[in-house]
Amino acid sequence: MRIEYSPRGIFLSEIGLWLDAQEPQEACWISHAHSDHARSPHGTVFATPATLSLYRTRLGLDEAGFRPLDYHECAEFHGARLTACPASHILGAAQLLVEHRGERLVYTGDIKLRPPLCGCATETVACDHLIIESTFGLPIFHFLETEQARRRIAGFARECLDEQTTPVFLGSTLGRGQEMVHALSEAGIPVSVHGAIVHYLPLYEAAGYPVQWEPYDAESTKGTAVVVTPGLRDQLEASARNLRFAYVSGWAALANARLGARAEHLIPYSDHGDFQELISMVQSSGARRVDVVHGYAEAFARILRQTGCDARAAGVRAPEDE
Amino acid sequence: MDRFAQVCDEVAQTGSRRKKVRLLSEYLRGLSDEDLPRVVRFLCARPLARTEAELSIGHSRLRDALMEILPWEPEIVRLCFREVGDAGEAIGLLLEGFTRREPMTLASAELLYQRLYYSRRAAGKVSLLTSIFLQHRPRTLQYFIKVITGDLRIGLKEKIVEEAVAAAAGAAHDTVRKASNRSGDLPAVALAARRGRLHAVEASLFHAMDFMLAKPVDQVREILDPAIWLVEDKYDGIRAQIHASGDKVMIFTRSLDEASSSYPEIAAAVQALPHSVVLDGEVLAWRGGSPLPFFALQRRLSRKRLTAEILEQVPVIFMAYDILYLDGDLLLDTPLEQRRALLEQTLAGHGAPLLVSPQQRADNLETRFTEARERGNEGLVLKRPGSAYESGRRSGAWVKIKRPYATLDVVITAAERGHGKRATLLSDYTFAIRDGARLVNIGKAYSGLTDSEIRELTRLLPSLAQEESGRVLLVRPAIVLEVAFDAIQRSKRHASGYALRFPRIVRWRRDKTPDQADSLARVRQLHEGRAGVRQSRAFLNEPGI
Repeated sequence: MRIEYSPRGIFLSEIGLWLDAQEPQEACWISHAHSDHARSPHGTVFATPATLSLYRTRLGLDEAGFRPLDYHECAEFHGARLTACPASHILGAAQLLVEHRGERLVYTGDIKLRPPLCGCATETVACDHLIIESTFGLPIFHFLETEQARRRIAGFARECLDEQTTPVFLGSTLGRGQEMVHALSEAGIPVSVHGAIVHYLPLYEAAGYPVQWEPYDAESTKGTAVVVTPGLRDQLEASARNLRFAYVSGWAALANARLGARAEHLIPYSDHGDFQELISMVQSSGARRVDVVHGYAEAFARILRQTGCDARAAGVRAPEDE
Repeated sequence: MDRFAQVCDEVAQTGSRRKKVRLLSEYLRGLSDEDLPRVVRFLCARPLARTEAELSIGHSRLRDALMEILPWEPEIVRLCFREVGDAGEAIGLLLEGFTRREPMTLASAELLYQRLYYSRRAAGKVSLLTSIFLQHRPRTLQYFIKVITGDLRIGLKEKIVEEAVAAAAGAAHDTVRKASNRSGDLPAVALAARRGRLHAVEASLFHAMDFMLAKPVDQVREILDPAIWLVEDKYDGIRAQIHASGDKVMIFTRSLDEASSSYPEIAAAVQALPHSVVLDGEVLAWRGGSPLPFFALQRRLSRKRLTAEILEQVPVIFMAYDILYLDGDLLLDTPLEQRRALLEQTLAGHGAPLLVSPQQRADNLETRFTEARERGNEGLVLKRPGSAYESGRRSGAWVKIKRPYATLDVVITAAERGHGKRATLLSDYTFAIRDGARLVNIGKAYSGLTDSEIRELTRLLPSLAQEESGRVLLVRPAIVLEVAFDAIQRSKRHASGYALRFPRIVRWRRDKTPDQADSLARVRQLHEGRAGVRQSRAFLNEPGI
């Protein structure tokens, strides 16, 4: 299958379908609702129902061109068969299987192998050609098992609360932010939420991940954990005392994240796969040809080539933060 | 050693000093008498009991050993080292899944360090490292290597270990601190503390004791009770502590490096003293009874080899102002006046290169200050009569008065990634001043900005990048910093023809644009305004200055 990589996204030219296009296109598959993937409106949008509703919430679009594809559901498009397959990442994330003239192509989008705290678990899909991400594609990245991460998040919160300090979790607007609120709620720890993380909590709740939270209020943080986007940190620090910061991220696998994120406590949990997860996903796909996008693409492709796999780095866009 | 690694991880995971001390002291309390000094030593990142022993294991040997095990190409492993920024941590992370995960005891860790030390050939060290790597748990190996590379990087200063040693033994922190300062042997102090025998810890020579520090004051008139003080000049040299006994001499500087080979004339003079002593004072470049500018000393220190020529051009002296030890007696708690008397007796009859700093009762401080400046010194140090030598303290028993120097507004022209914790940050900045329409570099600074400012610059500077050459990112002039410094000197190193001594960033001048930066003319003015007082004629006539 012909695949064109450019800063505008990935384009399957024979069937006229874009994957996570950066600019408006006629037809596009959106793997998940993060802003670097679900960026602009398109004529026809294929995505899971959950991704579509997050995408709509973010961009304020109408549903005219929406073509919801639930997990395991298929659609015919310009002579190809499109199937959405579960991907562990944020709520609604999916891989896309494209079957065209007897060839099977899988685009993972952003993905990990371990189940997320909220959302479905990855099902690896056998294919000939795999497009996989490599945000953490170096063998220095080892992340916690999901249950361990859940325990560590709750553990840090409890320990701080016991010591009369306020645990603060820095998390992304969509994904880890809601996961942490959910994990803390499930552990019975009161949570205050600050900033844009709030917007998506109802969608997570509707998807079956209960959350108990209150809007952040500088006067009453005592006795609650705080979940906040990193951008609001300065404001938070100016208004409250005895804060102790935890950084929940893939980058937290490296000690230098303490300085980078200005957090004393590191919890290496990500919505991306660690090195071993990425390797496992490549292996279990059985793909003979692998294109690597995002992050350490060059290095990860080299590592795959060493194992005899026809792998190359495909330049899509500059590496960026999770 | 596995438990050691686990405790280190826990210590790293908290920012609270109190909690670090608690975690460590609980751990220390449970250790056997054999393991306690061992762990204290490892916590200070010293693999071997003999302080002078070096393992001679650098990054390349560590990587060589690692490459025997890992399936990846060397470039991949190098990239991993760079991303992690710490060799021990990188090794631990990379070895995940490749080792037999057998336990390592503290005793066996020590044995391994000794074997690494005694295997003299590089190849022998590498193959031994490989076999160690294959055998043990990655996290343990991480800390096993950090002890070798000399920094655990878990937010642990030696003072925190000291506090934990005290807490573990139920001893007073101050007693432990003093015992450690006089003996230089915290591992032995830990054991003595446990046995309630701290008082029996003896002073020993040839380890750097903490220097007593002076509290800075900007103006003479800030001194409220001028009449009580004893006054000396504040010298602009290199603070040094000299240990001597028999034929042996060691000279420690503030960075606690041993530097006797840099000052052979001082070492020889001290060696000839018929006493065992520890002296505190200042190394100064000196000619004709007065100090040469610090720059002269710096020029001498920059030489790889001390030639007869440079020894002749830049002679040095030791200006002694305190004595901490004399013939078996530790004098830290002896009152200032008595120490002073002993110092004068000990050095009586000596001339350069062993001088005693003149001391007077304070009468007119303003006059004294001006005189000190005219002698080419920085200002005054005031010492409180009756005070003890408070190692490592800035208690106010000593006060220094320096004239504050001007600051310069400069423009960032290039940036580099830092080292260690700053390996991922653009934290080292080259900066310039204006010379007409162009910018000329005048220095480089690493310190002064907050972590969040450094992070902000790390994000911002790449967008200003004009060119990347190796590690260095050349950037479009846009960011103005205010830098403070101790002196301006002529230098060929930078295009401006000047260099700053001890430049440090005072603040990021977001309110200023590059055209508002200071000019070369102002730098010249500042330099000349100072040169009149500072430079002796003989020195000005020398070539190459």
